[in-house]
Amino acid sequence: MRNIRREVMALLGVSLLPGVSFAQGTPGAKPAAKPVINPPPTAKDWADIAKLPDWSGVWTHVRSDQDRQMKTNPPPWNEKAAKVIEWQYAEERAGRPPPLFQNCLPESMPAWMLVTHNAMEIIFSPGRVTMLGESDSARLRRIYTDGRGHTEDPDPSFHGESIGKWQGDDLNVDTIAMHPQNYIAISEAQGIPNGGDMHIKERMYLQKPDVWADELTITAPKVLTKPWVTTRIYYRQRLRRLDIVEGTCLEGYFKPAVDKDGYPVWEKITHDPYGNRTPPK
Amino acid sequence: MKSSLNKVVRIAALLGLVASAYPVAAHHATTMFDHAKVVTINGVVKEVHWTNPHVGIYVDVAGKDGAEAALWVIEMTSPGNLVRAGGWTRNSVKPGDKVEISMAPLRDGKKGGALKKVTIADSGKVLTADIRAQERANLEQEAPAK
Repeated sequence: MRNIRREVMALLGVSLLPGVSFAQGTPGAKPAAKPVINPPPTAKDWADIAKLPDWSGVWTHVRSDQDRQMKTNPPPWNEKAAKVIEWQYAEERAGRPPPLFQNCLPESMPAWMLVTHNAMEIIFSPGRVTMLGESDSARLRRIYTDGRGHTEDPDPSFHGESIGKWQGDDLNVDTIAMHPQNYIAISEAQGIPNGGDMHIKERMYLQKPDVWADELTITAPKVLTKPWVTTRIYYRQRLRRLDIVEGTCLEGYFKPAVDKDGYPVWEKITHDPYGNRTPPK
Repeated sequence: MKSSLNKVVRIAALLGLVASAYPVAAHHATTMFDHAKVVTINGVVKEVHWTNPHVGIYVDVAGKDGAEAALWVIEMTSPGNLVRAGGWTRNSVKPGDKVEISMAPLRDGKKGGALKKVTIADSGKVLTADIRAQERANLEQEAPAK
């Protein structure tokens, strides 16, 4: 009798606990997974950041090196992609450059590392490296360095899911889950959508005190016959006058104007098929 | 001969279709400009669009020697690149300025081009827009002797 009373009391006690259901007590049921949190950074986390290499400042692209690499280290395109690239070159020679990035969507991975004409900055915080671009719409990469792995089925995105690991002064980055529409581009007028299943490994490091390098190994089985290894370099600027400015690509669709009530507004302007403003009539 | 002509027409139509399938917008390569040529105009700045991704300047050119007056549109790189590569600010060129502009002209003969150099008549100030002029680290330091 005493045992029965104890069991009844125990049952009542359990049922009164917040958030606990009888189902959890069902034999064979799996315990609920513990939610993963991002812990608040500690003083040690911030101190560890001070030990990382100095990637501060503004990093400017090197256009002449991009141009040189078009000729010296082209991607190993498959036959179909190579034909499209050949057509794109012919169009460009004829003064009709295929406008790959005219829609002002992000240049995306890997194109924005390969062919950007705009500056960027790199920010360290506990568990993360963040890359911010000056133009080309929402140019932003988050590289997680907190020890996590890739998620099981990440949503595709313009910049993909990037996991980084520091090895000495090098940051090794593994990126998956990029939109199949993302271009593998060698200029603003030559590039092929990766088609899906693209995987990018990067080694980011300082080649010289003020020269930052990104060595990319791009595997894209839908358009490349083998992984393509290519390096892009960026120069450091410290002049405050040259700090990153806001750069919104869509701004180029508009000009400042005044509406019928006298308020400042953005007025749409027209462009020719290749992206240049057309003179008003 | 007729069949070759038809083939040319078909290819041209196909290329036209592909070109028109691209969205019309702003961010682009620059080979629609003939970089082997230089065209110079003198006029008065009508509008300056200090906007990403490409800055644009509209210039009224008066008719002269039988040529009709025209509005020209001159394209450049982004504001950030103009600051770094050419020392520009958003007020470097203003509406009302009398300017001489040399440019790589549009290949299609329309009144437009990619700016190479602008000289502002009142101040004599010269500005360029070569994106490659920023290709070294630490631009605040003197360029090393070549």
